[in-house]
Amino acid sequence: MKNLNRKTSIPSIIMQAIKIYPVIFVLIAFVVIFSSLYPQRFLTLLNLTAIIRQFVSLMLFAAGPSIVVVTGSLDLSYVGIWMLGGILVWLLQPFLGMYSILVIPILGLVTGFLIGIIHAKAKMPSFILTLSLLVIYSGLTATIAGGIPRTVKGYDFITADLIRGVPTPFLWAIPIIIAAIYIVKRTRMGIYLYSIGSNEEGAKLAGINVDRYKILAFTISGLFSGIGSVIIFQHHGGSVPVALNLNTVVYPLVAIVLGGTLLIGGSGGPHRTILGALTFTVLIRGLNISFLDPTMIQLIVGLLLIASIIASSRGVRGVTVT
Amino acid sequence: MKGNDKAVVKELFISGWLRNNISTIIPVIAVVVIIGIFQIINPVFLKYQGIITLVYAMSYFLIAACGLTFVILMGSFDFSVVSVLKLSSLLCVLYVDRIGLMVIPLALLVSVGFGFINGILFAKLKVPSFMATLGVSIVVEGIGLYLSKGFLHIVTNQTFKALTVTFIAGLPSIFYWAIGVCIICTLIALITPFGRRIYAIGGNPIGAVLSGINLDRYRIYVFMLSGFLAGLAGILHISQQGGGSIEMAADMSIPLFASVVAGGTALSGGVGGPHRTLLGVIIITWIQAGMLMLGYDRGIQMVVFGAIAIVMGIATIDRRRIKFVK
Repeated sequence: MKNLNRKTSIPSIIMQAIKIYPVIFVLIAFVVIFSSLYPQRFLTLLNLTAIIRQFVSLMLFAAGPSIVVVTGSLDLSYVGIWMLGGILVWLLQPFLGMYSILVIPILGLVTGFLIGIIHAKAKMPSFILTLSLLVIYSGLTATIAGGIPRTVKGYDFITADLIRGVPTPFLWAIPIIIAAIYIVKRTRMGIYLYSIGSNEEGAKLAGINVDRYKILAFTISGLFSGIGSVIIFQHHGGSVPVALNLNTVVYPLVAIVLGGTLLIGGSGGPHRTILGALTFTVLIRGLNISFLDPTMIQLIVGLLLIASIIASSRGVRGVTVT
Repeated sequence: MKGNDKAVVKELFISGWLRNNISTIIPVIAVVVIIGIFQIINPVFLKYQGIITLVYAMSYFLIAACGLTFVILMGSFDFSVVSVLKLSSLLCVLYVDRIGLMVIPLALLVSVGFGFINGILFAKLKVPSFMATLGVSIVVEGIGLYLSKGFLHIVTNQTFKALTVTFIAGLPSIFYWAIGVCIICTLIALITPFGRRIYAIGGNPIGAVLSGINLDRYRIYVFMLSGFLAGLAGILHISQQGGGSIEMAADMSIPLFASVVAGGTALSGGVGGPHRTLLGVIIITWIQAGMLMLGYDRGIQMVVFGAIAIVMGIATIDRRRIKFVK
């Protein structure tokens, strides 16, 4: 994959980066707008740390689904894995002790495998399948917890300060994000996922076992969501909400779409989601510290989502869009 | 020999009939079994008071589900039904004191408008319908939150309330609204050219285009119809409930979807119809009321509805016809 004609001067590299990642413009615009409107509040250490903390939650949720979106499917089960996994830790801690935290990645793996099997073999549309599963998991969480948020103690070491000023969840997120990018960009499986996303029938004709790689994509996505949920679980003080909040589901999706990953598959990936998540976090923080009516924020998020899905669906033609 | 042939023919006929109508028979059996089980557990259900309660729970739900049925028939999905329902309810409760019953056309107009936006996003801009309607639903809920400021609002206009809670022949008038809408929707789906074209689009969009159907226009029409029915359901819901906030009807979209597929409308499109959705709504509301009566909380109900949605979704999909699914 060596490109011999690549220009190496710094301005041309920047130009190429902007061409590939147009969301950089949006990010820079947001930073400039908010720091000129609220210079005393936006560019403070407190706010920047808060941005990083929110970015970590968003990115850890979005890392797994970004892999699935490459194949053109959707995986909304991440919040379900987080909620049910967290409450299972609370349930199992008296029996398993410290090892009970491992139940979250295992749950993620099993969930992803289950979704993959049902989606690939029974041909159920992935978004409605994962949405139903999400509702099932949130219902189970509410039932197990008895309607009260339960707190688990003893996992403080996960988010204990390693470097001063840098939130430790951010340090944990780095290897997870790198692993997700490596899987999509540097392995054979990643190439297969892109080909399934861009032309599933062609991939099948080329001899790719489409069902197997779809199941694999969902399993890996579930595993990433599970590992990320461990960190988010402790990041939020060792507890999970017992009622499903649609915003928690939608924000990572906005991050994925904003990053420029096409929803019909075949392009994008976790590396794009990083920029999307960062842009979205900056916007949310900026809106939160602004003088805007708080009830307006959801409206703006919705408009942003619509604008970015229109932008990311451009160039899509054909009648088979469902 | 002759008798043997006859038996074989008869057997073939019966098995063929069974195979062709299996998706109608299963919901009917399910309705009978579910009603029977809950009747044995607690005989209050089929008494007058029980039926009134169920009718109240079922009616607005049925209207919204009919709208969603058309969208699923076409092979798409409308996530924004619940949000539009909420927004139309909130518009009614917020402005009924100021402009009287004129609020009903206003709410319907707004709902149809959002259905139109859904249709434009999906048909013209080629956004997958799930994502398009998800985005619109966030905007709609944002508008609802902004208008209502998150407070609970109470309807005081008695004329508006009388729309649904007047008793005619022993049943509340919302029942007649719902049954009327369901019958009209069934007639639209089964008899009119519009309905047949929706089936054609759901069955095979490329074939529908080749046979001269203006695909984009019908997709927009169907989303507008879905928005209209969601708005109507919202108006009747708030008129019956007498008050509400942005938090009402939360996480109703999965029960709504479950009732459409439980009736036998296939996710893959082209099979089913509003008459089937009536059965599905009876199944879902009966289970909901029965579980409430047995003391199961909302969490367990959500588990059951999610499971019904997945199982019935898998059962109704025609896997021979679709090549791949996203």
